[in-house]
Amino acid sequence: MSDTLFIILAVLTVASALLVVVNKNAVNAALGLLISLLGLAGLFVLLDAPLLAFVLLMVYAGAVVALFLFIIMLLDTTPGAAKPFKKMTIVASLVGAALLVSGICSLAKRAVLPAAPETIAVPSMKNYAEQLFTTYLLPVQVVGFMLLIAMLGVIVLSKKFDQTEGAK
Amino acid sequence: MIFPLLAAAPTYGLPAYLLLSAVLFALGFFGVLLRKNTLVIYMCLELMLLASTLALVAFAHFQGTLDGAVFVFFILTIAAAEVAVGLAIIVALFRKRHTIQVEELNHLKH
Amino acid sequence: MHSMLNHAILILVLPLASAAVIALFLRQRGALASWLSVATAGAIAAISIIMLLHGERNFPHASWEWLRFGDFAVSLGIKYDDLAALMLFIVGFVGFLIHVFSLGYMHDDPARARFFGGLSIFMFSMIGIVLADNLFMIFIFWELVGFSSWLLINHYHHKQSAADASKKAFIVNRVGDFGFLLGIIMCYWLNGTVSFDELAHRAANGHLVFSTAIPLLLFCGAVGKSAQMPLQVWLPDAMEGPTPVSALIHAATMVAAGIFMLCRINVLMVADALTVIMWTGTVTALYAALCAITQRDIKKVLAYSTLSQLGYMVAAFGLGSLAAPVALREPNGTVLGMTDVAIAAGVGAAMFHLTTHAFFKALMFLGSGSVIHGCHHEQDIFKMGGLRSKMPVTFLTFTIGVLAIIGMPFLAGFFSKDAILYLAMEKNHAVFAILALTAVLTSFYMVRLWKITFFGEARSKEASHAHESGFVMTLPLIILAVLSVAGGYSGVFGKLAGSIHELVPEAEGSAHTTILLVSLAVMTIGAGSAWFFYQASAHDTLEEKSAGLFRLLGQLKESFDNLYDYYVAKVQQRFAMLLNFLDRVFLADTIIQGAARIVGYIGLGARALYTGSLHVYVYWFLLGAVVLWAFATGLF
Repeated sequence: MSDTLFIILAVLTVASALLVVVNKNAVNAALGLLISLLGLAGLFVLLDAPLLAFVLLMVYAGAVVALFLFIIMLLDTTPGAAKPFKKMTIVASLVGAALLVSGICSLAKRAVLPAAPETIAVPSMKNYAEQLFTTYLLPVQVVGFMLLIAMLGVIVLSKKFDQTEGAK
Repeated sequence: MIFPLLAAAPTYGLPAYLLLSAVLFALGFFGVLLRKNTLVIYMCLELMLLASTLALVAFAHFQGTLDGAVFVFFILTIAAAEVAVGLAIIVALFRKRHTIQVEELNHLKH
Repeated sequence: MHSMLNHAILILVLPLASAAVIALFLRQRGALASWLSVATAGAIAAISIIMLLHGERNFPHASWEWLRFGDFAVSLGIKYDDLAALMLFIVGFVGFLIHVFSLGYMHDDPARARFFGGLSIFMFSMIGIVLADNLFMIFIFWELVGFSSWLLINHYHHKQSAADASKKAFIVNRVGDFGFLLGIIMCYWLNGTVSFDELAHRAANGHLVFSTAIPLLLFCGAVGKSAQMPLQVWLPDAMEGPTPVSALIHAATMVAAGIFMLCRINVLMVADALTVIMWTGTVTALYAALCAITQRDIKKVLAYSTLSQLGYMVAAFGLGSLAAPVALREPNGTVLGMTDVAIAAGVGAAMFHLTTHAFFKALMFLGSGSVIHGCHHEQDIFKMGGLRSKMPVTFLTFTIGVLAIIGMPFLAGFFSKDAILYLAMEKNHAVFAILALTAVLTSFYMVRLWKITFFGEARSKEASHAHESGFVMTLPLIILAVLSVAGGYSGVFGKLAGSIHELVPEAEGSAHTTILLVSLAVMTIGAGSAWFFYQASAHDTLEEKSAGLFRLLGQLKESFDNLYDYYVAKVQQRFAMLLNFLDRVFLADTIIQGAARIVGYIGLGARALYTGSLHVYVYWFLLGAVVLWAFATGLF
């Protein structure tokens, strides 16, 4: 059963990611991102991390993608004339593709991956909390500061901009 | 087409998840390379981040440790903050240049 | 405690302190500067006499290490043996008298302070040479002396001729010093030491490495400093300096430093080097004497005379050692018999003549200074005349000086010149003949000078209004005259020179008679012919009688200068321009600016990375990822 689910979710994620990359319309791309987030959340559940799935949905899908949509709506995005791809782009794409392929092949052939344990315990929220507040306490605090600074940064950016606009 | 996939790995283990993560990452990377709309490029960046979170959670699950999963918290937080600041910059840039096509944002050219 | 060592250090430091005080504080106060300098010179003279009479020689532990580079060390030290004692006395005493003379001579000069500061620095440098205990230290003070000489020749710096002369003196000295430095380095390289005591010690033990190159290269320094051929061109021009400078530096002490240095390195001498030295000195003596005959300027005559006498001293040194009978003594003092021992007669004769020459040449230069001062700075002897009655003291003392130099018996010059002629007669007859001829010429031009300057009618306004100089200027003349008479006697010179006195060759028996006859003969012939030939008139009699010979003799002097001018203008200047071109094109343009250009290009290249396009940055990012990937998979 989980296998089928995995395949469905995987295909969903990849397809919507493809939509993000390919679609000319920015709003469509944002919605594609949203759907791939849904797929990813499902994959997280399959991996016995429901907490993370919820967090992903709340933070990413709820806030980030919403913000993206908001900004897309705000900015007047008329797609410019489609210019042909430059040679450099094609070369870079090919190189990237080659990297991807070689990576996968080497992973398949030579990777010595750890064997899955017999019974995989489903971690509860208590386990997460334990880790966050003992081993990873410092990163938590630092991330807190970083959020504060990001907030300040955003305020400054928008405020300064408004003033110059007002001066004009 | 599904049957070979079903038949190849009865229970999808770590390699499958890593493959999926790699594909997502590659897609995101192509998006950054090929798109001209700044916002869409930014979204593809987020896609790359998501791919890495998937890989982390997969490793955490298949090794029985929790470190990878906890790390995802941090990634999420940072991604959120980054998006906020980045979008503020893009808005500011738009107000100045009145465009968000990447080729036209080349005023740092020598 | 070695109080004499402290005296030696004091005697070295005093003039330096005086010069420093004058340079820093007393630039505008000429009178105070002159008194300070004279007082210092007096103190130096007094201390040198105290040290001489005290008798302590060769202080132990008088050497201090100054610089060290691994195995190589330069040390400064004091070597006070009989040679240094004698030289120190000469420098101190004659220097003091000249300082006193300068009080009167330079009284009206506005730049008096600079002059006396220069004199003090010179005393410091000269005493440094005298007291030095190793070759490096001598070299340091050698250069300092050259600097002092430049400073003092250039005293009337508003005159272009003085500036040129000082530059010439310094540069020509530098050429000699280059050879000197090479000699020092070679000595260090072959022997591992440049300390005189060390070298003497090794020579006594038979460990000294002898080489013809070392003494010849070291002799180059003496060639420069003592103005031997071919570097003699600077000394006549150096007469541009004030007369006391000419007396002190270019007659009595500095030019004698070359001789002193040769005596110091006597232990390194080999026969071939001595031959070269001997012939250099002889040729210089003859050449200078020939040049002196046609000179008009009183100081130039004396300058050529100095050159000639220096040639004598160098030739004497080059004549080398002599076998002299020495008493063999038992440890308790009883005499066993006489044996012949090789003594460094060259050293003895050279130092003896150096001493007497210092006395009478300084006397004559100061006398000429008095004459010049009296005639209101007129230096042409054909515009003088009749000064015998107007300046009696000067006349009398100058006469004594002239008699001393031409070798009048019972005066100092007679004994020292005899010693040299005896040495020449014993060792090398050709040199003896040339030196005897030079003695004839010496008498000839000195009497010419004497007659034309002092006798006859006054030939110009200045000469007719001449008056005797003040006491400050005549007192040194009198003292030096006394020394010129008494300085040659064994009693006096023996006291001054200590063991050096025993090195002076003494003629015995038939040789003694021969030498006596020869010296009397040369003196009479030279003096007599000059006295009767030259008329005390306004024109040179030789020029009138035989213009061709006169011109030929004049050309002798010019030829060297012309040769050097040609060399500098045609050879050296062209080479310098070639080097300049190479420097500008290769070094400055290609290498230095080329390096700058490369940096510029790198900058341009880095600048090209700044396309405004985001995608290009992503490509670079991809490249980085590829490289990292390759590295991780072990491709590198």
